[in-house]
Amino acid sequence: MNRSPLCTPRDHRLSRRQWLGSAALGVGAFATPAVANELKKRRKQVLFVWLDGGMSQLESWDPKPNTTFGGPFRAIPTSVPGIHISELLPDTAKQMHRLALVRSVSTQDNSHSAGVDRIQRGDPKNRGVTYPYFGSAVAKLLGPGDGGLPPYVWVKPGNGGFIYKDAGFLGPQYGALALGDGKPPENLVRPPDLPAEADAARNELRKLADKRYAAGRRTELTEANSFAFDTADQLQRQLDLFDSAKLPAKDRDRYGTHDLGRHMLLARRLLEAGVTFVKVTSYGWDTHGDHFNGTASLHPKFDRPFAAIVQDLADRGMLDDVLVIVAAEFGRTPRINGHLGRDHWPEAWSVCMAGRGIKPGVAAGKTNALGTDVATEPHDIGHLFHTWYAALGIDAAAKHFYNAGQPLPIAHEEMHPVKEVLA
Amino acid sequence: MPVRFYFLATAYTLAFTPLVFAADPLAVRIDRLIEAKAKTEGVPLAARADDAEFLRRAWLDLAGQIPPTADVRAFLADRSADKRARLLDRLLDGPDYAPRMADRFHLMLMERLGDHTEWSTYLRETFAANKPWDAMARDILRADPKADAVTRGAAFFLAKRLENYGQNPVDYSALTRDVGRLFLGKNLQCAECHDHLFINDYKQRHFQGLFAYVKNTTLVPGPTPRVAEKPTTEKMKFASVFTKVEMITGPALPDGRMVEVPAFPKGQEYAESPDRKTNAPGVPKFSTLAALSEQLPTVKNRDFVRNAVNRLWFVLLGRGLVHPLDLHHADNPASHPELLELLADEFVAHQFDIKWLLREIARSETYQRSSLLPAGVKPPDPALFAVALEKRLSAEQLFAAVCQAAGGKPTPALKAKFVKAYANQPREPEEEPIPSLRGALFVLHDADVLALLKPKPGSLVDRLANLADADLADELYLSVLTRHPTAEETATVKKILTAADGKRTDAISELAWALIASTEFGVNH
Repeated sequence: MNRSPLCTPRDHRLSRRQWLGSAALGVGAFATPAVANELKKRRKQVLFVWLDGGMSQLESWDPKPNTTFGGPFRAIPTSVPGIHISELLPDTAKQMHRLALVRSVSTQDNSHSAGVDRIQRGDPKNRGVTYPYFGSAVAKLLGPGDGGLPPYVWVKPGNGGFIYKDAGFLGPQYGALALGDGKPPENLVRPPDLPAEADAARNELRKLADKRYAAGRRTELTEANSFAFDTADQLQRQLDLFDSAKLPAKDRDRYGTHDLGRHMLLARRLLEAGVTFVKVTSYGWDTHGDHFNGTASLHPKFDRPFAAIVQDLADRGMLDDVLVIVAAEFGRTPRINGHLGRDHWPEAWSVCMAGRGIKPGVAAGKTNALGTDVATEPHDIGHLFHTWYAALGIDAAAKHFYNAGQPLPIAHEEMHPVKEVLA
Repeated sequence: MPVRFYFLATAYTLAFTPLVFAADPLAVRIDRLIEAKAKTEGVPLAARADDAEFLRRAWLDLAGQIPPTADVRAFLADRSADKRARLLDRLLDGPDYAPRMADRFHLMLMERLGDHTEWSTYLRETFAANKPWDAMARDILRADPKADAVTRGAAFFLAKRLENYGQNPVDYSALTRDVGRLFLGKNLQCAECHDHLFINDYKQRHFQGLFAYVKNTTLVPGPTPRVAEKPTTEKMKFASVFTKVEMITGPALPDGRMVEVPAFPKGQEYAESPDRKTNAPGVPKFSTLAALSEQLPTVKNRDFVRNAVNRLWFVLLGRGLVHPLDLHHADNPASHPELLELLADEFVAHQFDIKWLLREIARSETYQRSSLLPAGVKPPDPALFAVALEKRLSAEQLFAAVCQAAGGKPTPALKAKFVKAYANQPREPEEEPIPSLRGALFVLHDADVLALLKPKPGSLVDRLANLADADLADELYLSVLTRHPTAEETATVKKILTAADGKRTDAISELAWALIASTEFGVNH
């Protein structure tokens, strides 16, 4: 279990925070070049932003101003000459030199229920098993990281809990720890009538009991039990993750006080704390009616915190480690319906990525002049999974999941990465 | 020449087979087969579990509970040679056996899909009466609305699976799959749309044949679990998604004979016509559920018998002879094929007597082996059953054990909390122990759990607080872990108490909590 000869997992967390987190703490004793390289080599993380319902590609990554279906908004230049995106994403436009777009996404499922599952599970072929969501897959393939926190944390509006269904056949331990509205999981907070010393004392006794029990037995179970308690311990130690009052006001203002702003800021802090995969979900993007007024208020809600987190990750040197993905179950129809809305359009839409393994400042693939169809090689979700795995340094051709002994590919076999966006 | 050869073979058999073999109790024959295989593999067997390990294991398996402290003391002090056999008899014939088996089979058959009082009553009554497994399976698969008040509850197995949620249609695929998995040990999921790609034995016609038995069943909404049937008037067409070749089947067990679908003139399919006024669903003359319940749970249906003994073996040993439990097929043979056949033969010979089989398995040395590895030995393949496997405690067992250990009152509200903290999601079989963050946070911080460890009249902590330091460790370990403490553990307790100073009760509470939160307490080892 000891992953590094250099220091214990807890040292890692501390050293990394000192090293990357705040200049005020200075460069700690741990931040020798050797440790820094070691950290860099090992750490791979993902920020997965899910705009549930489907963000319009025409009002974001692939605008078609002054065309039949283009809508009323303009395209604006970005920090990368030649790449224009919608004027609804002005802050993001300034980050374009850190982003990569795939404008040739063409998927299959037209309904939310099938689309959310299919895109996040990335398994176009029905094999009679339930594939894991990307978060569970990454949790399985990359492990829990060195911060002692669960590998897959999901920040979402509404209720939280332990969401096992995401894990599919990988089994419940790879499910998501969901933080409903960014709040901590149930029973996380130590009751006030249990003093810290008493808590520490009883846990020492528990560990001693486990150590004695494990002697002479198979140790997997004791190790798994310790891991559950250690995770609980680590989460408790980071209660301030859930206390936005402790954040500088400047941060809150930059990200915004609406739910997506608060959740994106929490995501940054979870990534800083070492969580392997952080998913941030925003609901309400299914704009079948009054689409243009809708997007005029929705897109800025995404634009500000997204630009802020990309900037912050870059400032902290974390974009080298964190793969950033913005996706949804599909895009929206070019045709504008009778309710001034756009409907579901899996045929031609866009996905944005950044960070680890991604070539910055590129736009791959093209749609036709009206945006109705992909004009270059179409890319299905399988291509995107290959791209993401490649960016994370995981060989999708060689690596397999195992379900009851049966090897299963981690990504669609007939597909390949979108090379244009890989660094 | 052939004649002579026959005689030779007979002589050989007579010379080398001990004549007493068949007369030996099943427990002995189990051990012989398990030990022979371990010997062939060169794997040493674990020592016999000591009395305390055996006592706790048997109580949890057969009473769903850890023993009260007084029982532990009495059993450990008992010097008679037959005390283990007597304990097994006491538990199997005791008042907790039926509720425990009802819980165990509820978990196995419903997989947290839901519960119903009529269903739990049915399970408790049938286990109390030790109804044979074939008769239980018949009750469950028949779902007869005209059955007596207790048997009627068996319909819940089908009724719950015939519910639909919101706009989602009834999941007949899952129902078909569960009949195959839970009664035949075959997970035909991948054979719904085509022959199984990796398991040669699982054909699409097997899935479709089972589906044909249940496809015309519907839920009758109401307070009691009730299933109705629409008439099945013709065979069913299906085609593989690969070959698109149309095939046809009536209701049929995997590789069994297809049931003929009788033809009735239109309008005469019903023995009792549906009545729109009273919402009575009607009763068709030809009932596929009647056919299923007559054909599936039989002596001749080896799939049914093997699945039953494999699952009962799993209940006590923590792993199936065929594993996973629902993947019986030629390429996944039993770890001990002869043993599986032996158990199946004997189960049939004893008229599917569940209690008899559990008693025989529990009497074996295999069941009574320690979970401690033989010194200096690496953990062997679990399929050898050379070392006892740790079994998961269900949320219900854990709840009962915590209340017993801590001397707290088992309330339904607290039980519900335990289920929320420790149960798997619906349809996720609870077959192995998986410690979770959710469970850890629950035992760490839940107010009701912590309240159990406060000194209240009759509680463990209160009892311990009134003991002298010298007696405390023993009472604590006997009450929580069903064993005496080791010298080292006694020393730890003493040290903690000495250091506690004015906070003796708090220290006792911490000691008790640590044992309840430990891995040793959380599993059946």
